[in-house]
Amino acid sequence: MPITTTRRQLLAGSAAALALPAFARAQGAIKPRLTAISQWSAGSDGAAITALGKKFEEKGGVWQHSPVPGFTTEMMNKLRAQIMAGDPPACSQLKGPEIAAWSKIAPTVDLDAVVAAAGYEKVIAPDLAKLHKPRGKWIALPLQIYSTNMLFLSKRAMDKAKADKIPVTWADFNDLAEKMKAGGVPYPIANGGTRPDDGQKFEAALAGISPTAYRAALMNLDKKALEGPETKAAFVQVRKIADWMDPNVGAQHFSTNLKRFVDGDMGMMIMGGWAQGVLRNAGFKFEDFIIAPGPSDNSKPVFLLNADAFIFWQRKEPDLQAGQKLMAQLVMDPAIQTMYSQITGSIPVRTDVDLSGEGWSDGQRRTAAALKEAIASNQAVLSLAHNMAQENGMTAAIIDVITEYVKNKTIKPEQAVTRLAEAVEGAR
Amino acid sequence: MTIAIPTRPGRSAVSDVVRRLPEYLTIWVPLLLSAAHLIAFSLWTIWISFTPSTLVPVSGWVGLRNYSSVAASRNWQIALDNLLLFGIAFVLLSLATGLILAILLDQRIRGENLLRSIFLYPLAVSFVVTGTVWSWLLNPGLGVQKLVRDLGWTSFRFDWLIDRDMAIWTIVIAAIWQSSGFAMALFLAGLRSVDADLIKAAQIDGAGPIRMYRRVILPTLWPITITVIVIQLQFAISTFDLVRALTNGGPGIATQLPALVVYDLMFQRSLLGRGAAAAVLMLLILLAVLLPYAGWRYVQRRRAIHA
Repeated sequence: MPITTTRRQLLAGSAAALALPAFARAQGAIKPRLTAISQWSAGSDGAAITALGKKFEEKGGVWQHSPVPGFTTEMMNKLRAQIMAGDPPACSQLKGPEIAAWSKIAPTVDLDAVVAAAGYEKVIAPDLAKLHKPRGKWIALPLQIYSTNMLFLSKRAMDKAKADKIPVTWADFNDLAEKMKAGGVPYPIANGGTRPDDGQKFEAALAGISPTAYRAALMNLDKKALEGPETKAAFVQVRKIADWMDPNVGAQHFSTNLKRFVDGDMGMMIMGGWAQGVLRNAGFKFEDFIIAPGPSDNSKPVFLLNADAFIFWQRKEPDLQAGQKLMAQLVMDPAIQTMYSQITGSIPVRTDVDLSGEGWSDGQRRTAAALKEAIASNQAVLSLAHNMAQENGMTAAIIDVITEYVKNKTIKPEQAVTRLAEAVEGAR
Repeated sequence: MTIAIPTRPGRSAVSDVVRRLPEYLTIWVPLLLSAAHLIAFSLWTIWISFTPSTLVPVSGWVGLRNYSSVAASRNWQIALDNLLLFGIAFVLLSLATGLILAILLDQRIRGENLLRSIFLYPLAVSFVVTGTVWSWLLNPGLGVQKLVRDLGWTSFRFDWLIDRDMAIWTIVIAAIWQSSGFAMALFLAGLRSVDADLIKAAQIDGAGPIRMYRRVILPTLWPITITVIVIQLQFAISTFDLVRALTNGGPGIATQLPALVVYDLMFQRSLLGRGAAAAVLMLLILLAVLLPYAGWRYVQRRRAIHA
């Protein structure tokens, strides 16, 4: 059909098009809209936030998510630029002490009313709640929890070592690594070579040796604890771990070696719960690996908390404000948290979600149980390597020492302890 | 270059300006804009380096505190040591490789165009690509070491990438691969512009090829050599993407370079003030290279005018 348009028709058409939004607005309620930025662009993370966006749209909202792929810091650079330009997103990913730090540079939304209406505060860990209401008011909402010190065991490597017991303490862990080595597993530890990877080995070691010392040293930066015997013991344990790792990984991401891990060429992996999502997304089965809480010398689970969260930035537009409210309600919704965690492999922030049903893995059930137990015995601490314990500058200064220690085997544990205390002093 | 346009009687200077307006606009507007950008942001960075800025720029005055804490940090000290080593090794080796390639290509060989393109090609590849490709090639478990071992030489070792003392040399290797073609192109142009009479005269005097290069041709190349050195040095000082893709400063922090430290401070640690101080220090290092070069150029030009 030939298209013939007269100038008059065109004018009438565009006038109608211009009038339409105003007409829709006049019709009734505002259509909620949300501008959001996060680093979650691909893999299970990308799939999860896309699913969240779908739910948002089902509720009649307009979902405008712009992912910034890469490390969290890259997302932060975009956020900084938008805040400085006076155009913050209605909602952005941000977590840990950074929530408090960033909330000082731009006005945030007071979420107290919507949080109270949902009765949310009663069902989440108190330490976690504190991070999201830095000055007594809720300005951010946690979305999902990971433990950064989960222990992943390769079934095939366990078979090679003729072992079937999940290690509980660091001594058990070291025994199993030796057995694996003897049983023909070339590298008992699977790992990547990135800075957070090295940091995770250290925090898992220290928290497993003594959660009290961890809290004092890495959360409260107490000089005596930083130089204390537990810190030194943690460095000794990290050196053992480093000796069992494949030195050739260079600066690779941990996911590069997952196939070797599943094949039994690498035995154990100390990694956050997100590795489950990555393994599943790469096509591996639950039968290929076991997930358990990281080693703990007092046998009670130690939980290194890492929680992703959304912070809400003040906007004047009524549709964005409506979108923020809808988003907050969704994030707190147990059904949404279930959907999200089942995709990414995390556990829900709410402690009242039942994980016995289908769609949850044993690892996730164990993680959730560990969290409950760790909270009860005061052994849930905040992860350093994943920016939950300290602001970025301090974290980076501490990880400098750790990553150098992991890569440079001539540094003695005593020296590492001194350097750690100095680095903390220098970054204050 | 200025073109003298004879002004005909009856044409005013104003109409002349109007006629040449497009020329002025195309040259001066972008030039002024970019100069303003460069100067304004440099001044801004210098200002920030004296403030207590962290997450976002703030006003205030902390004197040289940012500078002293950057200079005292282990990262910066390692970065400076690495820069010295990397700068010297990279410039000398890429100069040597470029010169040898240029001399070999200058032998009126067949397929020169093809070879020249091949040697120049790495320059067209982004540093991130170069870094990533070399990070796989140099990885002992995947690349050259594995290949040689699989061929039968099982004790072969080439693990510089994960050796913290040698890792900086992997960056030298990748950087030379990337940019010796550039040195080659400049040298080749220089070799081709040597006066043919000079070469004839040397031949008549009975000079052999080695002697001819050493005594006649190479001495005419030294202005080009200095240009190549300066360009490569400023590249070395501002190297960022190559290291980031190849070693990301590792193993540990063994291959830090100043640009990495600046990025790390500003964007990963959110310490804008300290990052700006490190950036200003980098600028000073660059000026230490560029100012003598500018001075040398000035002297050369004066000499040429007076000669």
